[in-house]
Amino acid sequence: MRPFMHNMRGTSTLPVLLAVVAVAALFLLPNFVESTYALHIMILIFISIIMGSGWNILGGYTGQYSVGHAAYFGVGGYTTIILMQYRHIAPWYGVWAGILVAVAIALIIGTICFRLRGPYFVLASIAVAEIFRVTALNLKKLTNGAEGILITDIPPFKIGDVVITDFMSKVPFYYIGLVTLIIAIFATWMLQNSKLGYYFQAIREDQDAAHSLGINLTIYKNVALACSVVFTSLAGSLYGLYVGFIDPSTVLALDLSVQIVMTCIIGGIGTIFGPVIGAVVLVPFSEALRSNMIAQAIIDSGLVSENSGFGFFLKEQLSHAHVLIYGILLVVVILYMPDGILGFVRKLTSKRRKEAI
Amino acid sequence: MAVFLQSMLSGILIGGVYALIGIGLTIIFGVMRVINFAHGDVLMIGMYMTYFLFTLLHIDPFVSIVVTIPLMFLFGAFLQKVFINRVLGALPQNQILLTIGMGLVMSNAVMLAFTSDYKILSTKYSSSSFNILGISISSPLLISFAITIIITVALYWFLYRTDTGQAIRATAQDRGAAQLMGINVKRMSIIAFGLGAALAGTAGALISPTYYIFPQVGSVFTLKAFVITVLGGMGSIVGATLGGVLIGIAESVGGVYFGSGWKDVIVFMVFLLVLLFKPSGLLGTSKD
Repeated sequence: MRPFMHNMRGTSTLPVLLAVVAVAALFLLPNFVESTYALHIMILIFISIIMGSGWNILGGYTGQYSVGHAAYFGVGGYTTIILMQYRHIAPWYGVWAGILVAVAIALIIGTICFRLRGPYFVLASIAVAEIFRVTALNLKKLTNGAEGILITDIPPFKIGDVVITDFMSKVPFYYIGLVTLIIAIFATWMLQNSKLGYYFQAIREDQDAAHSLGINLTIYKNVALACSVVFTSLAGSLYGLYVGFIDPSTVLALDLSVQIVMTCIIGGIGTIFGPVIGAVVLVPFSEALRSNMIAQAIIDSGLVSENSGFGFFLKEQLSHAHVLIYGILLVVVILYMPDGILGFVRKLTSKRRKEAI
Repeated sequence: MAVFLQSMLSGILIGGVYALIGIGLTIIFGVMRVINFAHGDVLMIGMYMTYFLFTLLHIDPFVSIVVTIPLMFLFGAFLQKVFINRVLGALPQNQILLTIGMGLVMSNAVMLAFTSDYKILSTKYSSSSFNILGISISSPLLISFAITIIITVALYWFLYRTDTGQAIRATAQDRGAAQLMGINVKRMSIIAFGLGAALAGTAGALISPTYYIFPQVGSVFTLKAFVITVLGGMGSIVGATLGGVLIGIAESVGGVYFGSGWKDVIVFMVFLLVLLFKPSGLLGTSKD
């Protein structure tokens, strides 16, 4: 059995203090950072943490490895954006509609698929996500097919007559992302130490034993899925609104499902801060590749001349290679640190502690 | 009726290639209990190999499988020895993620090397076809179907008539018992993965004259391979053969009557239904 973290009462004051300072710093950050690019990266990290935390509830705590979470990400995003674009329903209502639709769909799928176990469940989750992707491609009247939906404008958010934000800059998205991610982490933390969380972990450790102790597998797996989908759908809506564009090949693709799982695996599955670490490692890295910063750095360092064939090749191609790095990371993590970065660090420190004794 | 027969026939022809893909996946699963999510990407590598053999050395795609099969076998053996072997005892989800990662590395490495442009391998006979009783048959599909049959027969002979083949099947049946009987299961695993890769590579070679070649082509076939093997029963070779042909027909007939956009939905629906109501597959016997 994996160690079940620390007890709530056992939490010392130092980490809490650190967390408070970190959150305060994040809230103040947009006041000091002028660069929109830095904010952009932060927002992407936030979204990645939210979807990772969502998946973590189902995959990490309940042990149900869904590789089809893009379906719920996409359903949330599409619902919010279709409602806004074609029905003129403001996104701050549409987001909830997105969650409702995504959870409803998830419960139907869950009831069907949770009868399957292990690799069969993984395959079924992929098949479901693919059905959604192909359906979104074909339902042209609703989703505009492969062309996707371009958001023309988001209505300004008003309370009374006071305009709170018009969503023109990145700052409102930053704060929405930050608040949602804090809620997601707090929810995971609450869950981990709750009776419900223990049920989930019992199912992860041994389904049959959990069942024999009176835990209804179908019900609690579905509850875990619903909790998980709430955050996945939120992340989808937020992503769609932030990017201003949604299409099946970005929000419903298998690549996205894999990316969601990877965020957790790389950080450490079934831990509160696993998705955080995974996102903080993965997002800036892949963005740096995508925007050609790494190729430029290699050329600037003088290792490769810009005009040489290889330098040209790097500049042209390395920006396409961010998924390659994802793949290599995934292979390395599974082979050498199957418990993720957090698990790896924990193992190192516990070894050191043992040696000290 | 003619439309129905026509789509049936093209379904069967393409189903032969699907069967090869499915058999490859099912052998790997049978021997190692590992679901290879990189299967389609291995196929993609086979496609590129064929493409370059054709464009650089002018070797006909159907002849080039003589080169592709041994090369892909070695490639598969390498993957098994270096990567898969290390996770044989790990959680199934970790095995799956490892192969997903390997697939990502393959498809993106190819994209990095050869760009993501669609490549077309056009031979003289690529678009040629002939008519029998009012049904038109595409020549490259027919040739590839014939080769598929030869390979399948050879494979059955190998698995059922040779010592190595029987050792592989014994390992698939019960790894522990096979080991006790003095079978080198590690070697069998390497051969099995090599065979799986060779079959996927061959399938890639066979469809390359009629299909677009691009780095991301693999994921389509990975998903199809799952559907085929689950349909036939995980680990069942006869099942995979049958599953391949059935999926070929379902796709082709479904495409005609529901529109080609929806044919994948039909395939996945069939897949889910089989998973739910007969997870051991049409011919499979539940082993776990």
